[in-house]
Amino acid sequence: MSLREEVLTRVKALLKDRRVDGVLGLSLFEKEPVPCLFEDPFDVDALVIEPKWLLAKLAMNILKTAPQEYRLGLVCRGCDDRAVTELAKRNQLDRNRLTLLGIPCTAEQARKCLCSTPYPREIVAGERVEGMYPMNDEQAQLFLTGSMEERMKRWARELNRCIKCYGCRNVCPICVCIPCKLEDDLWVKRGHIPADMVSYHLIRAFHLSDTCVSCAGCTDTCPVNIPLMLLQVSMRETLKSQYAYEPGLDPERVSPVLTEQEKGEGTLFQEPAWIDSLRGGS
Amino acid sequence: MNLNFIKTICPYCGTGCGIILQVKGGRAVTTLADRSHPVSRGGLCIKGWTAHEFIHHPDRLTKPLLKKNGKFKELSWDEAIGLAADRLKETVKAHGPDAVASLSSARCTNEENYLFQKLIRAGLGTNNVDHCARLCHGPTAAAMAYALGSGAMTNSIADFSGAECILIIGSNAAETHPIIMGEIYKARDNGAVLVVVDPRRTEVANNADMHLQINSGTDIPLIDAMMKLILDASLENREFIASRTDGFTEMKEYLSQRTLEELSRECGIPLEDIRKVAELYARAREASIVFCMGITQHACGTSNVYAICNLALLCGHVGKPHSGICPLRGQNNVQGACDVGALPNVYPGYQAVADEKNHAKFAQAWGRDLSRKPGLTVTEIFAAAGTTVRTLYTMGENPLLSDPNQGHLMEMIPKLDFFIAQDLFMTETARYADLVLPAACYAEKTGTFTNTERRIQLLRKAVDPPGEAKDDFSILCLLLKAFGLKGDYADPSEVMDEIAALTPIMAGVHFDRLGTHGLQWPVPSDDHPGTRYLHKDTFTRGKGLFVVPKYTPPKEMPDENYPFVLNTGRMFSHYHTGTMTRRSPFLDREVDKPFVEIHPADAARLGIVEGGGVTVTTRRGSIETFARITTRVMEGSLFAPFHFSEAPANALTIEELDPDSKMPELKVCAARLEKG
Amino acid sequence: MTDRTEDSGNIQVVLEGAGRKIVVFACTWCALIGADGAGKKRISLPATFRVIPVECISRVEADAVIRAFTSGIDGVAVMGCHLGGCRHNGANLRSARKLELLKPLLDTVGIDSRRLFTSYGTAHEYHQFAQAIESFCSQIGEMPPVSAWSRSFVRAMSARGENE
Repeated sequence: MSLREEVLTRVKALLKDRRVDGVLGLSLFEKEPVPCLFEDPFDVDALVIEPKWLLAKLAMNILKTAPQEYRLGLVCRGCDDRAVTELAKRNQLDRNRLTLLGIPCTAEQARKCLCSTPYPREIVAGERVEGMYPMNDEQAQLFLTGSMEERMKRWARELNRCIKCYGCRNVCPICVCIPCKLEDDLWVKRGHIPADMVSYHLIRAFHLSDTCVSCAGCTDTCPVNIPLMLLQVSMRETLKSQYAYEPGLDPERVSPVLTEQEKGEGTLFQEPAWIDSLRGGS
Repeated sequence: MNLNFIKTICPYCGTGCGIILQVKGGRAVTTLADRSHPVSRGGLCIKGWTAHEFIHHPDRLTKPLLKKNGKFKELSWDEAIGLAADRLKETVKAHGPDAVASLSSARCTNEENYLFQKLIRAGLGTNNVDHCARLCHGPTAAAMAYALGSGAMTNSIADFSGAECILIIGSNAAETHPIIMGEIYKARDNGAVLVVVDPRRTEVANNADMHLQINSGTDIPLIDAMMKLILDASLENREFIASRTDGFTEMKEYLSQRTLEELSRECGIPLEDIRKVAELYARAREASIVFCMGITQHACGTSNVYAICNLALLCGHVGKPHSGICPLRGQNNVQGACDVGALPNVYPGYQAVADEKNHAKFAQAWGRDLSRKPGLTVTEIFAAAGTTVRTLYTMGENPLLSDPNQGHLMEMIPKLDFFIAQDLFMTETARYADLVLPAACYAEKTGTFTNTERRIQLLRKAVDPPGEAKDDFSILCLLLKAFGLKGDYADPSEVMDEIAALTPIMAGVHFDRLGTHGLQWPVPSDDHPGTRYLHKDTFTRGKGLFVVPKYTPPKEMPDENYPFVLNTGRMFSHYHTGTMTRRSPFLDREVDKPFVEIHPADAARLGIVEGGGVTVTTRRGSIETFARITTRVMEGSLFAPFHFSEAPANALTIEELDPDSKMPELKVCAARLEKG
Repeated sequence: MTDRTEDSGNIQVVLEGAGRKIVVFACTWCALIGADGAGKKRISLPATFRVIPVECISRVEADAVIRAFTSGIDGVAVMGCHLGGCRHNGANLRSARKLELLKPLLDTVGIDSRRLFTSYGTAHEYHQFAQAIESFCSQIGEMPPVSAWSRSFVRAMSARGENE
C-alpha cells in the first residue's frame, strides 16, 4: 500500500468513527492540489499528500473559528507537527481538539527545505529519511560564511529586492501576532519598497528566533527568491549549542529565553558560558 | 463546517497569478497563494495577498440605481434593463447607431467582453466599443501588429529566467508586476545582465546592473543610437535580417541621417554607456526587451514601440525561447479584452472590421447587419461626448480617474443624453451616470482571464454577489435578449465555444481544456497544446518589418511658468484608480495619502519638507498633495501616482494624442510646484 | 552611471559633530548611576553617545536595537544590573538572553554583533561606566558606519556594470 493509500485509509477511518469532525489535507482539484477540509468520508478519495503545503496555520484558524466541540484531523509533515507544537505552547490552538496524521518527507524534499528533521514525531506510515543541515549546503554557506563585508553585500543584494508583499509573514505558521509590528509605521516605514532592509527583515527574523520550526515557507513563497530561512540558521544553532533547545520538538519545554533563572540542582539546561563569566566578574 | 478553498486568478495586474480564496459561510475570509500555479508558483504581491479584502466591502452596489433630479433612486432589474434598452434604442433611432458609444472592461472576463462588443456591434449596429487598453498598450497593439503581425507579448514569463540580457525600458515591474520581476531576478541570479532605461531611479533600476536615466520621452533617440552602434560594430544578425525581415534598407538610410552625438545629447546618456548596453544586447545569445507604460504613454508611443521592434529584429532576438519583445500588460484581462474584440477597429481575434470577408463572417454568425466603419476610441468618445455621441454605456471603467485631463471629462460627460455605468462601487465616474447597474467582482463569477503571456485561465466563482448585484455575464444576457439577440447562454463556457468558433487564434479553447495551467493562444485546434512563444519560423505577418519611427519630442516641455516635468504612474500597494485597493484596509494602511515625489535639491530650494503639503499645477488643473522627498526622481522632475481621487494626477495630464493609436501623453507634461 | 545617494525613507538620526552615533540604554538602578557619577566627576568622554535611561533593560526589546541600526545609529550599548540582581523579578536575565540571541543574527547579515554592546552589573561605578563607554566608542570608531550596510548594494551594482 502506498503512503497516500495508507493515509487515505486512516483519514476515512477517523471520519467514519466520528473521532474527528473534519480532516484538513490536500485534495486534487482539476488535477492540481488545493487545501481541503474533508468532512465526508466519501470525499476522501481525492486526497493527495504531495506537494509539501503548510497547513498548521490553516488548522489553527479553523479551530479558532469553529465551534468549541469541533475536532480536527490534520495530515501533517515534520514542519507542520513542530508548528502545531509551538502554537499549542503559545495557547494559539487546543492540542486536544487536534489529531495529527504524520507523514515523513522524501529525501529530496528534505534537501530542498534544508530540513534537519523531515518527519513528525509520530508517523502513520512511510519511512523516515535522514535530514540535512543548512551549514552543509553549498548555496547556504554562501550566505552564512565569509567576512562581515561579504555577508553584508550578499544580504543587501538579496534584501534590496524585497517587494514588501508580506508573504513571508503570511505563510509563516508561527507569525500570529495581532497587531503585527511589521505593519506599524514606528518600526517599519510604511509605503516604501524595498521594505526597510534592516528593520523589516531582522525584526521578523528575530521574532521567530526561538520559535522558527524551519519549514522553509518564507523562502518558498518569496516571489523575489530571497533565502529568508537562512536568517534563522545562526540563531537556531545558538539555541541548540547553548541551551540544547530546538523549537517544536518538545511540547513540554518552554523556550529558554522565556524562562526564569534556574536555581540549584536539576536545572533543565545549562546556563551558557557567557552568563557565568559575567557573574564571576560582577 | 462550511469551508471551501477556491482556486481562482488574482484580479489585479496582467501577470495573472494563482490565488486560493478561503471561503467560510459564503464569505471570502483569506487569500492563499497557489503553489501549483504555473506563473506565480506560490508567491504573490501585497495586492494579491489581500485580494479578498474588498469583496464584501459595505460600499458595494447592491441595487440598480436611477438618477432623478440629481439623486439616485433604487429600481428593479426589469425596469433597469428595460430602461437601458429603451434609451439605447431611442438614441439609435434619433441620431443613428454611431451616436452610442461604449467602454468595455479589461477587468471583466473574456466572455463578458465578447458579449459586450457583440451587443454593441450586432444589437446597436456601431463599432463604438473600446476600453482602457487604449491608455496602456494601444500603441503596442498597433505597432507590434503592424511590424510583426501580433500585438501580444511574444514570449512567456517563465522564459525570462533563461535570458542572457534583459533590457527593461519604461517599466517599474518591481512595483507594478512584482511576480514577473521575480522571474527577471532569477535570470539575473543565473548570470543575466539586467539593464534598465527609465527617467526615474525605480526599484528595478536599484536592482539592475546598469541604469540609463534618460530624459523623459527620448526613447527613440536612445534606441536609434543603440542600433547605429550595433551596425557600426557589425553586431547585427545578418542572416536573420536577410531571411526574416523587410525594410532594412530604409531603416539603414534613416539611421544614417542622425549623428551619434546628436542622439546621445538628446536622450542625455553618455555615448559610452549606450555603446555598452548596445553591445550587451547584441552579443547576448538570448535577450529580451521588457517594456511598459514608459514607452507607450507618449504622443509618439506607437513609434516608440516600432523602435523596440526594430532593435529586436536587428539582432534577431525574437521568435526563439528566452528572447523576445515583452510588453507587460496592465490589467488582469486587458489582453483578453483585446483578443475578444473590445476594440473599435477589430472583431474578436483581431479580425479587421474594414475587411469585407470578416464583416460577412460576423454578420452571418450574429445574424445582423454590421457597421463597416471602425468606431471611436476612448479618447475620441469623450471628445465627442454631448455632440455626436449622445449615449454612453460603460462596464467596469473609471475614466474620470484613469483618462487624461479630468477637468475636460467632467465638462463633457454631463452633456450626454444618457449615461449607463455598470460597476462594483459608486466610482467617481458612476456618480455622473443616469443609470447605475450593480455588477459582480472577480470572486463572484465564472469565466476566463487572459494574462500578459497570452495564457487563458479559468476564473472560478467563490461567493455570491451582494444583494441584487448580478455578474456582468447575466446583465449582458438580459440586454442581448432585449435586443432580440441570443441571450440564453447556459453559462460562460457556451460563450467561449462561440468565441472559439469565430476566432482562429482561440479555436481550440474550451473550458474543459483550461484546468489550472490554462492555455496560451494561439490555440488553432482542439488538440493544440498552446504556444509558448510567437513568430517561431515565420512572423504572423510573414516577414518582420523594420518601421522607421517618427520621433516627436514631448509636446509640453518645462518653461518659466511650469518648470517641472511631471510623470505619472503606479506604486506598489495600490492599483489604478484605487476602486478596489483603497477599499482594502491593509493596502490603504500601507499608503493612505496621495503624494508627489520631489528631488531633495528641488525641495530644499522651495522649502518643502518630507510629508508637507504641496500644490502641483499644470495648464489643465491643480491638485493638493503631500511631498515625498527622494532621489528616485531626477532634479526638475516630479512623479505622481494616479490612484488617489482626492488628488487625481489625471487632473493635470495632457490629452495630446499619439496620431496612430490615440494614446494620450500621460507620462510627460510641464508642471509648477508650490509649497502648501 | 552617476552615484546617487541612497534614501531609505527612514528617519535619519542627526547628532551634532562628526563621527559615529551611539545610543546607550542605561538601567536606572545601575548603569545610569555610573553615567551620573561620570558626569558629576566631569570625566571627559567621547561626544558620540547619548544615554536613554530605562527602568530595566527588559524594556529594551531587541526590536529597538534593530530599529536603532535602521535609523543610522552605529552602535548600541545596553547596560543593566548584574544578572540575578534585577529589581524586576529577574526580567533582565530573559532580556539578556534575547539580546545574546540577536548577536548571531547581526553577524549573519554582516552588521557585526560588535555593534551591540551588552554589559550587566559592570558599570555601576563612574569609572567603570567611563571605561566601558570609551572602549565601546573607540571600537565603533574603527568600524565602518552602519549606513554603509544599506549603501553597499548600490556600489555592488555599479561595480558590476563597470566591469562588463
